[in-house]
Amino acid sequence: MNKKIYILFVVSILTSSLFGQFVGKDNLSISLFYMQKAELDSAKKYIDFSADDESLNTAAKTWYYRGFIYKELYKKNEKEDKTSPFRLTSIESFQKMLTLEGEEEFRESAHKILKYQASTLYNDAARLLDPENYQTAISNYDKFKSTMLLIDPKTDLRARDIKFKLALASMLNRPAETAEGLDSVQTQQIKSLYIEVLALDPNNPGANYNLAILFYNEAADIINNMDYDMDIMKLNEVQDHCIEIFLEGLPYMKKAYELNYKRRETLVGLSNIYYGLNDIEKSDAYKKELEDLEKE
Amino acid sequence: MLFLSSGFKTPGVDGNSKMKAIFIMNFTKLIEWPKAYRDGNFVVGVVGESPLYSELTKMAKTKKVANQSLQIKKFGSSKDIGKCHILYVSRNKSEDIPSVLKKVKSNSTLIITEKQGLVDKGAGINFIIKNNRQKFELNKKNVEKYKLKVSSNLEALAFTVK
Repeated sequence: MNKKIYILFVVSILTSSLFGQFVGKDNLSISLFYMQKAELDSAKKYIDFSADDESLNTAAKTWYYRGFIYKELYKKNEKEDKTSPFRLTSIESFQKMLTLEGEEEFRESAHKILKYQASTLYNDAARLLDPENYQTAISNYDKFKSTMLLIDPKTDLRARDIKFKLALASMLNRPAETAEGLDSVQTQQIKSLYIEVLALDPNNPGANYNLAILFYNEAADIINNMDYDMDIMKLNEVQDHCIEIFLEGLPYMKKAYELNYKRRETLVGLSNIYYGLNDIEKSDAYKKELEDLEKE
Repeated sequence: MLFLSSGFKTPGVDGNSKMKAIFIMNFTKLIEWPKAYRDGNFVVGVVGESPLYSELTKMAKTKKVANQSLQIKKFGSSKDIGKCHILYVSRNKSEDIPSVLKKVKSNSTLIITEKQGLVDKGAGINFIIKNNRQKFELNKKNVEKYKLKVSSNLEALAFTVK
C-alpha cells in the first residue's frame, strides 16, 4: 500500500513539474520548447494553436516557426510523399509570414527553406512525368513556380517552363510511337504545350519541329482513315480540312529548317508537307536537297 | 528531363494517291458502262509507273463495283494494254496518249490522265491540282464516244466540263 502511494506521489510530482514549466507561457513558446526537443508532433500541436490564437497569429515569428516545424515534419514523415500536405502547409506558412510586419528578421532563413522546398517540388514533378501521374506533376510544377516567385517575384522561370513543357509533351506523345496512336484530345493537349513553349521561345527548334509533325500526322491520319466509298462532295470537304492542317504545320517545319534543326528530318518533313499540299515541285526540291545531303 | 522528338507517321500510301483512288471509285458509280461490261471483273489498268497502282490494288481488296470484283492491272507501255473499264495513264506515259487511244478505240474504256491539256487530246477525265486540291476536268465527248454514259452529278462535280 505504501509503495503504491509512493509511486503516485512521484508521478504527481513529475507531471506537475512538466506542466509547471509552461505556466504563464504562450502556445508559441511551448511549441518552440517541443521543437528544440525534436518532439515535432507536440510542436505541431502548439504551433497550430498559435496560428489560431489572435494574440499570436499576426506575428511573423509564429508563421516562420510554423513553416519551419512543418518543413521538419515533411522531412521526417513525408519525404517520399510527392503530394505531401506538410510541405504545402510549410510553404503556406512562409507565404503568410512574408506578408506580416517584422518578417525581415526571418526572411533570409525562410527564403532558404522555400528554395529547398521548391527544389523538392521540381524534382517530384520530374519524377511524376508518366501517364498515370502527370496531373500531379503539373500541380507540383505549378507549386514549384509559385514558391520560387515567393522568394523573388522577378525570378525568370522561362527556361524551366520550356524544359518542363517539352518533357511533358514528349511523355504525352509516347502513344504516338505505338500502334495505339494519339487520339484527338491528346493531340490537342500536346499541340497546346508546344504552342505555349513557342510563346516563350519562338525559336525553340524542338517545339517547332514536333508541332509541325503533329499537324502533319493529324492530316495523314485523316487521309489514311478515309473510306474509298466517300462521295466527292465529302472528299472535297476532307481535302479542304487536310490542306488547312498541312498549311498550319508548314511554318513550324520551315522554322525548324531555318534553325538548322535535325536537317535530315526537317527536309523529309518539308518534302512530305508539300506533297500533302500537292505542291510536287517544292516537295521534289526538298527531296533533292535531302539526297544531296546524304551524298555528302 | 529528357526530350524526345516525335516521328512522322509512315502512311502505307501517299495522300494524293488515296484521293485519286476515291475519285476513281466515284467515277465507277457516276459513269455507266454498256451491258457487256457489267459481267466479270471490273478492270482498272495503270499505264506506266505510278504510286496509284498500289493504292488501287489496296482498294481492290475490299471494294467492288456493284457486283463486279475490282481487278487492277499494270501495263508497262501502250502496246501491252488489254481490255479495261478504266485506263489510267500516268504522268510519265502522257506522251503515249495517241497510241493509247488507238489501242482502246473499239473498247468502252474511260481514259484518265494527270497532265494539263490531255483532256483536249482524248482523255475523258484529267486530274489537276487547283489551290492545292486534287480536282478533275471532264471531257464529256471523250467519255461518251466510248459508249459510256456520264451522270449529270459527275458533270456538276467536275472542275471544268468540256
